[in-house]
Amino acid sequence: MNYLLHILVLVNIYAVLSLSLNLLVGYAGLLSLCHAAFYGIGAYTGALLMVDAGLGFWSALPLAVVMTVLLSFSISVPALRLKGDYFVLASLGFQGIVFSVLRNWTSLTRGPYGVSGIPQPTFFGIEISSPLAYVFFTGAIALVCVGLLHLIGHSPFGRALKTIREDELAASALGKNVFRLKVKAFAISAGFAAVPGVLLAGYLSYIDPTSFTLLESIFILSIIIIGGTGNTSGPLLGAVLLIFLPEALRFLGVPNAIAANLRQITYGLILIIVLRFRPQGLSGEYRFT
Amino acid sequence: MLVFQLLANGLVTGCAYALVALGFALIYNTTHIFHIAHGAVYAVAAYLFYSFHMLWDIPLMGAALLTVGLAAGLGILIDEVIHAPLDRRDSPMLIHLLSSLGLYIAAINAIALLFGSGTKMLSSTDEPTYSAVGVTLTQSQIIIVVVATLLFAGLVILLRQTRLGQRLRAMRDDPELIAVMGVNPRLMRWSVFGLGSALAAAAAVLLGLDLGIDPRIGLTAVLNGAVAVIIGGIGLFESAALGAMLLGLLQSVVVWQASARWEEAVVFGVLIVFLLFRPQGILGTRRRAEEITA
Repeated sequence: MNYLLHILVLVNIYAVLSLSLNLLVGYAGLLSLCHAAFYGIGAYTGALLMVDAGLGFWSALPLAVVMTVLLSFSISVPALRLKGDYFVLASLGFQGIVFSVLRNWTSLTRGPYGVSGIPQPTFFGIEISSPLAYVFFTGAIALVCVGLLHLIGHSPFGRALKTIREDELAASALGKNVFRLKVKAFAISAGFAAVPGVLLAGYLSYIDPTSFTLLESIFILSIIIIGGTGNTSGPLLGAVLLIFLPEALRFLGVPNAIAANLRQITYGLILIIVLRFRPQGLSGEYRFT
Repeated sequence: MLVFQLLANGLVTGCAYALVALGFALIYNTTHIFHIAHGAVYAVAAYLFYSFHMLWDIPLMGAALLTVGLAAGLGILIDEVIHAPLDRRDSPMLIHLLSSLGLYIAAINAIALLFGSGTKMLSSTDEPTYSAVGVTLTQSQIIIVVVATLLFAGLVILLRQTRLGQRLRAMRDDPELIAVMGVNPRLMRWSVFGLGSALAAAAAVLLGLDLGIDPRIGLTAVLNGAVAVIIGGIGLFESAALGAMLLGLLQSVVVWQASARWEEAVVFGVLIVFLLFRPQGILGTRRRAEEITA
């Protein structure tokens, strides 16, 4: 039972991660390989503020979001001038640098040992500690984030992003400042990625750099490519599917030792097959062009 | 002198990266596919060689040639099964990239499943070392330099002196036009993927002999290779080797001045600096990034 609850917490976390990346990929049409970097910056900022500065969950959370948004400018402002695969490469470079800093700046991040002893979040004086409480807690926060992202997607801002995605030239001819809109989308996307980071830190009470690798970025991207992008249902479906489906392997009697590898193989193959036969994803609106 | 030793090591690694980078450049320049699965081919080749040489006791040369040949076939297979169908549907570059990533993840985990994720050595004996002017190199390091130089020379001759080379350069300049010239585009794709993957496999065997192998080597190799291509200049073939040598040297300077831990960060930093300030690379002609992508 606890195992199922753990999976549900993961679904909540990945729902926010995938929907925030969707704003960039599905709405603005920008493929980014550094979402795990923002997830990690959020997690580490939150964790270090709680452990080293003694802040509570609710003050660490917004600070982590602000920090992540600020750091997002350091890559978005220069890299968004680049187009297509060049932007993807720049985001990959940023991912590599952030991971390296998390692992090697030992005096701040404690390096490969990670940060431990992160306190549990409290909610109006109630300490969230049981797995079931975590499901509801992360679920509530995920619901707020998903709702906000849905509203942003349907706002004039979201529609402007879709215009950029379809035809950048037309968007600027309509008087839209394409560069600024992209930077804004990038910042919002990064800010929302920080929230699940802080949630993860509080939930596990321990984080280390291996949760925020390039492969994690690719995994988040795969979720929304497989589920579909450009709307709210696609990424959610992808998150549920890619977290739950491989766990089913466990119930088929696959031993734990090889389950992790099999899980990765499964999602790698699903990614290839979906791109080949259904490039808009299972329930997506936007088809990569 | 420690400096000379580190620089020598950097050049040796640079030679191996150069082969990966040349293979990557062959594929990228002609097909515009950002072939992350190049890293999968690299890792699969390393483990093929391990199986042939260490598990089944095939002699070194035979195992190496068998590995390179099979890797070439694997490269062609990847194109036929994944990229060619996507191309027929006119898929954008990013779909190719993501499919390639999917394949890389599946392949690397299959390797980990079969062989475990620990480091494996590709030779069971202690190697002789050679010293001169304060620099000590192992036998496999010397083999890396010699073989890489020979392969590079062979590739330059192939590109500049042969019919195939002429067609490869034509394909780079305009992939659609070569079909009009009566060249079978499919055969050209086969040569590009075959040749590129063979180069990656050669590098995997060479570097594996020196450092040992684990499932993660593929990603490191393809990232270094791709960054080397960008440093050297996209759209040129031979420039990738220059980029790789510079990258190897730079890494040894980082090891010398800071720590090996920061190697990776510096590679990515160089990537971003080049993308922003010199997207055409060191040897590339001045074009805007937008033009190169288009």
